Formats: sequence, structure tokens, C-alpha cells
Amino acid sequence: MNDVDLKTQESIPELLTTFYVGNEYYGIEVMKVQEVTGTPVVVPVPLAPNFVRGLINLRGQLATALGLRELFGAGEAQVNQQMSVVCRMDGNLVSLIVDQIGDVVEVEGRIFEDPPDTLPPGIRKYVKGIYKMDDSLLSLLDMEKITRELAPNLE
Amino acid sequence: MSFSKEDLEEFKLEASEILEIAEKSLFKIESGVDFKSSFDAVFRALHNLKGAAGMMELTSLQNHVHEIETIFMQFKGATAIPKVYVDFFLRGIDGIRTLLAGGEISFDYSPPVVAESAKIELPLSKTAAPDAGASQDNAMDEFVSEGFEMIERVSKALARIEKETPSKEVLNDLYRDVHSLKGASYLFGFSSIGDISHAMESALEPVREGTHAHSVELMNQLFKAIRFLEVEMDGIKKGKVSEENRALAPALVKELGNACRNLKSSTDLVEMKMNTKPAVVANVHSQASSESGEKDSASSIRVPVALLDNLMTLMGEMVLVRNQVLQFSNHSEDLDFLNLSKRLNVVTSEIQGEMMKTRMQPIGNILNKYNRVVRDLSQELRKNITLTLNGSETELDKSLLESIKDPLTHIVRNSCDHGIESPEARASAGKSESGTISIRAYHEGGQVVIEVADDGKGLHRDALLAKALEKGLLTQAQAAGMNDKEVFNLIFAPGFSTAAVVTNVSGRGVGMDVVRTNIEKIGGSVELSSVAGRGTTTKIKIPLTLAIIPALIIRSGSGTFAIPQVKLEELVRVEKSGAEHKIEYLHGAPVFRLRGNILPLVDLNKIMGVKKNGTDSQDAFNIAILSADQCSFGLIVDEIQDTADIVVKPLNRLLRSLQVYSGATILGDGSIALILDIQGISKVAHVGASKTNNKVQRVDQKVSSDFQEYLLVGLNSPTKHALVLGYVNRLEEFKRSAIEISGRNRVIRYGKSILPVLSVSELLGYGTSKLSSEKDTLSVVVIQKGGVFYGLEVDEIIDTLSTDADVDSELTRQAGFFGNLNTPDGLIVAIDPFEIIGLAYPDSVSAGKSDQSAVIPIKGKKKMRPLRILLVEDTVFFRKAVTIILQKEGHEVTIAVDGKEAVEILNRHSEKFDLIISDIEMPRMNGFELAQAVRASQGFSLIPLLALSSRADKKYAEQGLKAGFNRYLEKLKPGLLIETISDLMEGAREAA
Repeated sequence: MNDVDLKTQESIPELLTTFYVGNEYYGIEVMKVQEVTGTPVVVPVPLAPNFVRGLINLRGQLATALGLRELFGAGEAQVNQQMSVVCRMDGNLVSLIVDQIGDVVEVEGRIFEDPPDTLPPGIRKYVKGIYKMDDSLLSLLDMEKITRELAPNLE
Repeated sequence: MSFSKEDLEEFKLEASEILEIAEKSLFKIESGVDFKSSFDAVFRALHNLKGAAGMMELTSLQNHVHEIETIFMQFKGATAIPKVYVDFFLRGIDGIRTLLAGGEISFDYSPPVVAESAKIELPLSKTAAPDAGASQDNAMDEFVSEGFEMIERVSKALARIEKETPSKEVLNDLYRDVHSLKGASYLFGFSSIGDISHAMESALEPVREGTHAHSVELMNQLFKAIRFLEVEMDGIKKGKVSEENRALAPALVKELGNACRNLKSSTDLVEMKMNTKPAVVANVHSQASSESGEKDSASSIRVPVALLDNLMTLMGEMVLVRNQVLQFSNHSEDLDFLNLSKRLNVVTSEIQGEMMKTRMQPIGNILNKYNRVVRDLSQELRKNITLTLNGSETELDKSLLESIKDPLTHIVRNSCDHGIESPEARASAGKSESGTISIRAYHEGGQVVIEVADDGKGLHRDALLAKALEKGLLTQAQAAGMNDKEVFNLIFAPGFSTAAVVTNVSGRGVGMDVVRTNIEKIGGSVELSSVAGRGTTTKIKIPLTLAIIPALIIRSGSGTFAIPQVKLEELVRVEKSGAEHKIEYLHGAPVFRLRGNILPLVDLNKIMGVKKNGTDSQDAFNIAILSADQCSFGLIVDEIQDTADIVVKPLNRLLRSLQVYSGATILGDGSIALILDIQGISKVAHVGASKTNNKVQRVDQKVSSDFQEYLLVGLNSPTKHALVLGYVNRLEEFKRSAIEISGRNRVIRYGKSILPVLSVSELLGYGTSKLSSEKDTLSVVVIQKGGVFYGLEVDEIIDTLSTDADVDSELTRQAGFFGNLNTPDGLIVAIDPFEIIGLAYPDSVSAGKSDQSAVIPIKGKKKMRPLRILLVEDTVFFRKAVTIILQKEGHEVTIAVDGKEAVEILNRHSEKFDLIISDIEMPRMNGFELAQAVRASQGFSLIPLLALSSRADKKYAEQGLKAGFNRYLEKLKPGLLIETISDLMEGAREAA
């Protein structure tokens, strides 16, 4: 039974939007991405944690910009031109600020693996797993976990 | 037949509305208001519900309602329903609700036993029909709107019949509508409509049965009848029946009958069709009626709230776009574009206004629910409590309405439980056995105010303090220094509950602090006031709507921010070089002296963690004075930009958790501004953390710095002039040609008397103004002095002004001038109209004490002996003004700045005062407390007390009289004051 399940899963290819932060290669499910924009005007929110870059006016709607570099502790950006990957999560708009946009790639469960234990824990908690691509390793990000950073259980 | 989920939901919604009407009407029945119409309303509600339940195939519900209805119908024609029955019916309604919610009930349908004394005679005849006069209000409206609908449907159907051979269905529908109309109008006693519809029904009968075909004649008559019904219905709606129309009725009935008799049997149908074409008249009718038929058949429709919410969001977007277009158009020189953007602006504003209205609901929708709450509680607690509702029609945003429901319930329950005493306790306190809780809702200054007042035992200062000490909320030292208001506010402290016994009514672990938190969450505020033994009043203030709020846009080093206007008290600019106002440092903490009070300052840049850069280079500080729940404080910002209506956009939880933002908005230029959470900032800055009473003092201060109303007039001078509005008798505009000359004086015939006209500009030495002599009308302020009216001519009457600015009379020692008012809009000169009249008519002004009788000789009143008066007043202006009035009368005036000082003076001075005149709103000890203290004192309890307050509505006046004042006057009417004093003293002398 399990084998059959796995096989059917494996056979369904999935599309990922990919991007780079530092030297690392990341991807998120294409269905979760609303749009990709160039360097947006980000209005900083004082007192917010450093990974919250600020707010973006996305055609009259507010999106919260998250700097993945800051979130992953990747240090200051080397590139000037950063890109924004806008996702809609539970009705809220979240913009991920990344260094560079990659292609939309098709992946299969066959090349999927859990994240290795040696990943830095600060990053590992946001990574669902690794796709072993031909020429590189693609980390699949867990958007739910990332957006949960924006809704800490305070109340 | 099966019904969709939507149908069922619709039905439930409607049912709950019907039940609300029924419940409301039951309460009316209980209180004996409009018995007949209320009875009809309940009956109709039950009956409709039964029918609908049957249609929805909800058998158990239908049976239940039927049982209730049957028992209810026993009271048809009665004049009252016993209380136990009302209870029974209310239980029945609860049962219906349970069934509607999908629950099950076991209901005892045996009628309740009525105590012999409470028995009500049932009428012998159960068929007594309600008469027309009693069917009013809702029922009437329903009838009218339903009637219109039916008439419209009938005329539509008739038009169809005329065009084509009607189907059986159309005919049946038509017939049914006419029939229902007949029934309904007879029921409501509108026999004219009933008669006509009856005739129509009869005339249609053969056509419906198919035995005869309709004729042109019949159709014409039917349309005539429709026309008649429309006019008649309209008359009923407007409450003005057209007699002219009504006179047509008998002829119409006859003609309908004739037309019916002339109908040809259907065998002739074919022949008839060939011979006759529809008459022109009929065509016109059919067009007219089909047009009206296409119109909205109902005057209101049901729209899902989600749709409205969506529209509201889109509206917000549109406002943003509008703002952006406007900003863009500022830089454009294209006239067409400018015009378009202007129109866009106007239209958008209008849409916004209308859109807001769609969300507005009368507050009565929730207030009425408290009838039930209070009723149930009074039974449970064995107290007699009456609830009165005022201002139920006040409208409020639906979402706000929902969120005040629970807090209000809590307050009402509190009033029932802790406020109102048991009947025995009330009787022994000399009060009527039944207590009253009144809920009043009204608009005030762009906010909705809801007051819940009870006439119960009030709050007990010592009990509150003891409790607070016990709970460790206060130290002894703090407790000793608190005034009543501060003590009452302890109730809102977390973890505070005064109920000695925890009942299941209140004291359920949620205290007033939750009420306050919930109210503040929606941008509102709660205030509490109480007089021991007389009751407690809770005042809730809430904004009209939440989605779009007015805000002040400011800049600070780190960006643009918005401050909600409701939190903003005032703006102060402090020049760095200015010697007068200066920011001072208290152990390193910046403070600012605002009208003698020390105000803590918070630097927004510091809060936001921005390194100082901007403010140091500026030559002034901009301070926004804000009110948070615990205190007021000044927020130093770099730049004050503008005010704007902003659309509040929520932030995610992470950003909200920073405490300093309540949302964000997009400004006209597309940039983003964060909305500051003022309470949060005060928390972050630790303002008011240790000094919880800071705010209370501020509030006191604000209330006590009484606002005085002035009339602003223009004279032949660049400065505006003001006179106390209370002095002004009337404002008049006369034609210049109306002026006549009597001796050397200008006069105008004014009613039966002659009004001397004085030019204020000339008398004050400003010279004749060009402006005023060019106009062919003259503006005159009529002042009464010594029983005589005088007309003071001014260049123009500008406005009224309400200000708390004090009059500075140091610089003005000239006759006619009162002093200078330093207002935010500039210097205004306050003038004294009485002295000005004195300048023109020296014989009528006081020339010293020898001439007392001439000062204000109120018709025939004899001169009073000089009195020693203690004037208790905290406002400098009124102190001066009242003192001047009194001294002109020759009285000796001693001044106390508040109630406490007054008591001290009374205690210290052995010589007695003849009269105490006191303000009400004062710091430390207010007028009510002073009056109580005086009345309870040894030695000076008999001194007459006169209240002089700017809050002179009936409620306050009553409270004042209860507290021990002999009279309660509104300030500031000099004539009335003098008259009242002499009245009062005469009374006192007689009593002595």
C-alpha cells in the first residue's frame, strides 16, 4: 500500500518558483506565489524585528516585506537590486525579499529528501525538504512556518 | 418539496426578526402600552411564523407555535394579559428559538395559573375585531407597503391579461391578490379599499372561472379601480385621505358590477377578439402600470453583510485613488483634468457618505434586548426595575453595534445587581420601591454616547477604597489623596469586583476592566460617575465608524505616522528660543508646563529608536498632546503635516504586538503611514505607569476649565470682538431706513417698544465704520439692561465661539472693555455691553453705590440690602464676571477657588455669609459635594445655596437640588442671577 502511495505521489510533478538568497537556492510552490516584482518601495516599521523589512503598497493593498537574508541570518545583501516574491497567506500579503529570481522548475517526489540534520537550525525550521536537482540542491521553503513568524501566539 | 440551505437560513433570519417583534410587543402589552396594536403584532408574528414553519416543513416548530398561538388567542379582545401569561409566552418564544436553532424542547402547554387577584376578565365574544384606530405603527406600515405591492402586482397582471390570453396561473394570482387586499384592508378598517377590491374580486370571478372572457369595458373599469386604490393607499400612507377620490368609490363599484354583467360568455371569445382591439385608454394604462411594475417592488432589500463589507473595502480603495488623483491634479495645469478630478472628489465623498449609511443601524436593535435582560434579572433578584430607553434611533456602524453588546450587557447587569437596591432597602431609604435604569443614546461631537444610569445606591467611596487596599491595588497614602472620581475609576482596575456576595448575575470573573478593554478596543471610552445614595451613571463614548477615521499626519525621523484625531487633544509648538514656554527636564525626563500642569513628554524618535537628527536643528518643538487611557502626554514629533481621512488597514499580529501601531494606511501620494497606537505608546514610554491618577486630574481640569460661549462681532477695528453670549437677548437685522431719530438718539421701533440703537464702534472710540454705513441693513445685538432693551449696532455678526481661554483684563482699564481673550485663533477683545450702554446712557449706569437702584432695576423689584456672598468658582473668567455683576449690586464678594477652599473659608470665618454661589464642575471638591458638605455641616447648614453652572440641563439641575442647592442657574445671565438672588433672599427672610 505504502509503495503505491509513494509511487502516485512521486509521479505527480510539482512546479516551484525558485530564487536565490546568498549562494543558496530556494523554492516555493508556484500556487502560493501571487506575483514577483522588482525592488519595491519598502516603508520601514520601526521597532519591528530586523527580518521585517517593512510595508509595501501593492496597488492599494498592504504587504509585509520579509527579508529572507535577515530571517536566515545570511548577513547583509551583496546585491543592490533585490526582488520581491509576493505570496498570499490566509488573506494576508507577504512579500519575501530575495537576492535574485530563478526559473520556475518542475520537480518530482522522486528526488525529494528531508532536510539533513546538519542544516543550521535557524534555517532548517523553515525548510520542508531538499530537491536534488541535477546541478544543485533546491531547498523547499515552508511558507506556513515563515508566515507563522508574523503571527506569534501572544494573545 | 425540499428547501435549500439558503432558504432555511433566510427563514431563520426572518423568524428571529419576527420573534423580536413579538417579544417587544409582549413587553408593550405587559406595560400596558397600545394593547390592541401590540396584541395584533404578537398574533400576526405567531401566525406568520406558524405559516412559514409549515411551508418549510418544520412540523415540530409549527405545532409549538400553533399551541402558543391558540393560548394567546384567548386574550383577543381583552385589555391586558396577566404577568404569568406574559412569562409563559416569553418562554414559548424561547422555545421557538431553541427549535429554530435545531434544538429540541419539551414544553408544558398547560396554561399558567393566574392568581385570583391578577385575573383578567376575558371578553365573552372572542370575535371582537380590532378597530382601525388601534392598528398602528409597524403593523400599519406593513399593511401600506404590502398593499402597494399587491396593487402593483394586480396592475401588472391586468396589463398582461390585456395583451395576451391569460394563463390560469396569472388569473389565479391576480384573484388572490385582490382577495388578500380586500381582507387586509377590512381588517385595518379601510373599508373604501375593501369595498373596491371586493367589487374587483366579484368582477373578476367570471373571468377567472373561464366562463366569460374579459371585455375592454371591464379592463378599463379595473384600471380605474387600480388608480383609485393607488390614490387611496397613498392617502393612507401620508395620513391624508383624498375625499375627492373617496367620492368616486360608489360609482366605481357600480360600474365594475355593470362591466361584469356585460361580459360575453367565452363562446363569443373568438368573435370578440376579431372585433375589438384594446382601447387606447387601456393601452396607456398598461404602459403606465408596467413601468411602475418594473420599479423596485420593495422599498428595502436584503443584502449579505459580507457584500457590504466588500463594498466598504473597495470604497476605501476608491478613497485612496481619489486622494492620489487629487494630489496628482495639484501639479497639473490641464483644466479638463482638474475639473474631472474635482468631480471625482465630490462624487467619491458622496458615495463614501452613503456607503457608511448602509452599515448604520439604529442602536435600538440591541437596546431593546435589554428589556428582556432587565425583566429577567429583576425577577431573579426580586427587585422592581423599570428600564427606560431613549434615543433608540441613534445610528451606529453595525460592527460597532455588535462589539458594544457585551460590555453594555455587563453594565446593565451590574446596575441591576449592585446598583438598584431591594424594594425594602429602597423604601427605607425613602425612594420609590421600583428602581429605574435608563439607557440613553445620542450623538455628540462625532461620537455616539450611550449612558446607562440607575437610581440605585450609588458607589460607596469607602467600600471601594477598602476593597482596593485589600486587593493591594493601592497604598494607604495613595488612597487618602484620591478624589471621588479617581476612586470610582478603581472599578475599572483589573481584578476588582465590589460585590460582597458573588451572585450568578455579576461577579462572574469578568469585571469592569473587561468592559473598558472591549470599549477601548473599538476606540471608545468609558466614564463613570456616581452620587452615593442616588445612583450611578456609566457613560460610553464610541466613534461612529471604524473603517475610515480622521487622523493627523505627522513626520518623525523614521517616517510618516498617523495619529487618530480622537486621541488628539491639542497641538503645541514650543519655540526653543522662547522664554515663556520651555521644555524642562525633571531628573532627565522632559516635561512641559501646560497651563500650570506638568505634562510628561515623549519623544517619538526615541520611542522609535531613531537617532536624533531632525529635532536638534529645528528651532521649535512640535508637541501633539494626546490622551491615553491612564494619562495625557505630549508627543514630540518632527513635523506636523496635515489632517486626512484615512482608511485603516490592519497589521499582522507580529507588528501589532509591538504595541505602538494600531494599523497602517496608504496616503494620497501612495506612501504608507503607520497609525500610532497612542495607548500602546504610553505603555511603552511608561507614561502613567506609576501615576494612574494623572489622567483623572487632567479630566477634572478639563471639565472644570469651563467653556464660555461668546458671540463674535466685527467692529471698525482689525481685531475681532466678543461678548458673552449669555448677555445677548437677540440678534436682529434692521433696514437702515427703519432708523428714526428721537432727540439726539437713534431708535428703531421694536415691537411695541422703542429700541435705542447704539453704535459700538463709536462708543468704543473706533470711529464710524465705513463698512457699516455702506450696507443698507444693520446688524444689531439686542441686550436687556435694567428691563430696557438696547440695540448695539455692530459691523457684522461673525460667529459664536466656545473657548476656555481666560479673560485677561490687566491691560484694559477702559470703560466698555472686559479684557483680552487669548485664543488659538488670535487675540479677541471681550467687551462689556452693559458698560457700553452706560457710556451712551450715563444715567442708567452705576455711578457709585449711591445709585444702586438704577443698575439693574428688574421691573419693580425693590433694592436689596447688600449681602455677603461666598462665590465658589474655579474659572478665572467667571470669578471676574460674576464678581463684577454682584459688586455692581453692592454685594460683598468673597472668593473660593473650589469646594474644599469654600469649606475651609466657611469653617475659618466666624462671620456668616448670607449666600453661597457655587459652580458645579470644580477640581478637588465639586459643587454637589460642596452642597452636601454645607448641608451636613454644623453652623452653616442653613445658608442659601445657589448653583451657577454651564451644565444646566434638567438632569444636572435635579441632581443639584437633590444635593442641597436652593436654586440651580445656568451661567451666565446677569439679570436672572440678580433676580434669583433677591428671590432667594426674600424666601430665606420669610422662612426665618
